[in-house]
Amino acid sequence: MNNFLFADLHIGLAQSFEVVLDDQKLQSFLAISGDHNPLHTDEDYAKTKGFKSKVVYGLLSSSFYSTLVGVYLPGKFAILHGIDIQFVGPVFVGDQLQVYGVIKYINEAYKQIEVKAHITNQGGKKISKATIKIGMIDE
Amino acid sequence: MNRDQIFEKVQEIFRDIFDDEDLNISDSTSSNDIEDWDSLNHINIVVAIEKEFKIKFNFNELSSLKDVGAMVDLMIEKIKNNE
Repeated sequence: MNNFLFADLHIGLAQSFEVVLDDQKLQSFLAISGDHNPLHTDEDYAKTKGFKSKVVYGLLSSSFYSTLVGVYLPGKFAILHGIDIQFVGPVFVGDQLQVYGVIKYINEAYKQIEVKAHITNQGGKKISKATIKIGMIDE
Repeated sequence: MNRDQIFEKVQEIFRDIFDDEDLNISDSTSSNDIEDWDSLNHINIVVAIEKEFKIKFNFNELSSLKDVGAMVDLMIEKIKNNE
């Protein structure tokens, strides 16, 4: 886990990590959320809607924005203030995702940073993008 | 940019952040007058003003402000210093 302090942060500081979305994660999210829409649970149904297989929950792939903030950028001393997410492509079981974020704005008065982030799949296609506001609790 | 023009832009920022197109603010408006004006929205207001007017505030300056009018006066001072 990173533990950047507010004083360490600067515009342009970037972090990224990779994660594989396996079926176990899909099942765990189903158990937590109770979202049993067939697009996420029924392979055949998903195919009839034009997808190659079950579609991974958008909020499951987006949960890695939480990891980006809490573990990587800035890590330990973060508290999530807000996140604005746009989905731009589907995610399927087995996809290898790269999660990337870069600091775009720093508010000195209240120690809040703004991170522009996105997630891409193994083909380099963007599947979502986000603007994340993060408070710093390093004191 | 004169005070009225600055005030108009600040009003737009407030309407955007509080998601209320009918919101009208005045010099004497403070956090007591807007129910959703909590600490996070306060930061959102400050950041939106910093970006829109390309100015920066420090914590002590902001702590002493009592209402929107005082904020706009401080902004005018900072915008002048930028020119």
